[in-house]
Amino acid sequence: MKRVATIVLNRNLPEVTDQLCEHLLHHDGALTDVFVVEAGSDFQRLSRHATWHADWPEALAHGLRYCRGMNYGLGQLWKEGRFRQYETFFLLTNDTELQAGPTLAPLMGILDQHPSVGILSPCAARWGERLLLTEQSTKYFWFIHNNAYLLRRDFVESIFNEDQPDFMNFVFDGSNFRGYGFESELIAKAYANDWAAAITSEVWAGENESHLLNQADLIKTEGYEENLMLYVEEGRRWMRNKYGFNSRWSMQQHVKNFYDSFFEFHPELKHYRI
Amino acid sequence: MIHQRLQSFLQKRRCTLLGVGPMSLNCVDAAIELSNEHEVPILLIASRRQIDSEQVGGGYVNNWTTAEFARYVIDRDKKGKILLARDHGGPWQNPKESGENLSLRRAMESAKASFRADLEAGFQILHIDPSVDIHGRPRVDEVLDRIFELYEFCWSQAQQLRQEVIFEIGTEGQSGSTNSQEELCYTLNAVQQFCKRNHLPAPSFVVIQCGTRVMEMRNVGSFDSPVRVADELPAEIQLPKMIEICNRFGIFMKEHNTDYLSDEALQWHPRLGIHAANVAPEFGVTESRALVGILEANGLRELSDRFLQLAYDSGKWDKWMLPDTRASDRDRAIIAGHYVFTSAGCRALKEEAGRRLASRGIELERHLKEQVKQGILRYLCNFRMVRSI
Repeated sequence: MKRVATIVLNRNLPEVTDQLCEHLLHHDGALTDVFVVEAGSDFQRLSRHATWHADWPEALAHGLRYCRGMNYGLGQLWKEGRFRQYETFFLLTNDTELQAGPTLAPLMGILDQHPSVGILSPCAARWGERLLLTEQSTKYFWFIHNNAYLLRRDFVESIFNEDQPDFMNFVFDGSNFRGYGFESELIAKAYANDWAAAITSEVWAGENESHLLNQADLIKTEGYEENLMLYVEEGRRWMRNKYGFNSRWSMQQHVKNFYDSFFEFHPELKHYRI
Repeated sequence: MIHQRLQSFLQKRRCTLLGVGPMSLNCVDAAIELSNEHEVPILLIASRRQIDSEQVGGGYVNNWTTAEFARYVIDRDKKGKILLARDHGGPWQNPKESGENLSLRRAMESAKASFRADLEAGFQILHIDPSVDIHGRPRVDEVLDRIFELYEFCWSQAQQLRQEVIFEIGTEGQSGSTNSQEELCYTLNAVQQFCKRNHLPAPSFVVIQCGTRVMEMRNVGSFDSPVRVADELPAEIQLPKMIEICNRFGIFMKEHNTDYLSDEALQWHPRLGIHAANVAPEFGVTESRALVGILEANGLRELSDRFLQLAYDSGKWDKWMLPDTRASDRDRAIIAGHYVFTSAGCRALKEEAGRRLASRGIELERHLKEQVKQGILRYLCNFRMVRSI
């Protein structure tokens, strides 16, 4: 039985997605099954590895984006009774670029060594966080930019919406369409439920923004600038309506409070505190 | 006493202190008036380009020497609310020192002379910043040695002059990037030990790179950015860590390059525990915009064009440009405007504009000063220095 379910989110970039899937299967195939969510892709632009196709009219028109797309993939595993087969879920967008060589084996090794970690993220070469990971390669953070999250199933089970395991509600809040601030919400939920969120520099992953910059029309999304504006506008509205927070800094304080209190109850883990 | 006064003010108000760059005569007047009207301390943070000793020929702001500038401020600051501060004092921080390709020893001597002039003039806060070296990139320990030499010098001069002074330190250039925690701890520890060993007062402020960086007419750092800035720690992580370290060492954290941040970002400064923040070029740009705006609104286009041309021709906008700039010539002129306020050409056109606007009941300099005051007030309100207006 494979320990990891990798879910790759694609919209209309089959070549890029196929390349990522093949990289994973080549280097980590023994550890993971790879599932591709076609997040409203055109029928003629599906990945060779496509697993599920969100093909209802709204998804075709607007795509699913991260929160809905990952919910959809996780929800499908749940519906198909495969969710509990896996120990972890590796959530990737198709523009993720992984290091040459195995990614999941070292990540799973770290999770095994850190039973309190519910969210684990590889570091990226151009993240400043790498400066905090020189002496110790894995540390616990209160903010992790969404790049390539490895979620422990036990953690997901502690927060997921069992009553509505659908693309809007499974783990992420699908009403936050473009996902501004969703990372903070997820990390707050982790620390609130006694799970830590870690970044490791033992594994590297990056994000190739050039796809969004150069192929926005093909992906059927807004251009970079417009997308950014909508991402922030919608996310801020979501944050305000859901939490009454008028600033991302409020959200950060909220997460940081849970983070600080986590270490009060786990002094033995203070070593991993940044 | 200065440190204690600031500390008590910070504790009572739970605010962030504001450092205002003296970009022009109007900007200096605006800061003095606001601090006196609202009875709040404002730090006037003069760089050596802006204001310097007679020995190096003064600075570009109103052609003032350090002594003239200090005299002007002290005379007008009726309630004694302004704190005269040197910003980025140190070797090669005056363009003359780099222009003359001074050796380290000569540049240090020149920096000391400049600090001496500051103290004689009544400056109360000295930022010792020897991070610039035109002959190479100094190691952290070399920078620290230079800090120690200047620190000891300034303190002994202050003692001789019976001048009360507090210190700000910063070992990095204003890259807008982020310090590492280790480096900050190392620096603060070294400075603390040095001060203890030599019976010197500990510095009051340390400059922290918080992800603020000014280019063109915006802040391009990570502080106010919804997206990640390459090679930088997100401000969400950097700031709480740095503040924690500063609090541990009992030193005020000072942010530089705070210009153009949004109200939301500014409002979070006191809540995050940022003790002080510097703003400078934004106020120069505010005044240039106000000048061009009032001239154009009153049919004095030819004067506005003359000002823009003068500013553009100065080339002073160059260092503010982003590599992939899309700034128009007009933008560039606005960015460089305050550098030419005291040039003969600008003075002449302002005189003419003043006369012509006066016939319409507009006092030009008063209008410009009011615009700058509004700009400064935005910071004072967001920093909780001023609660009601």
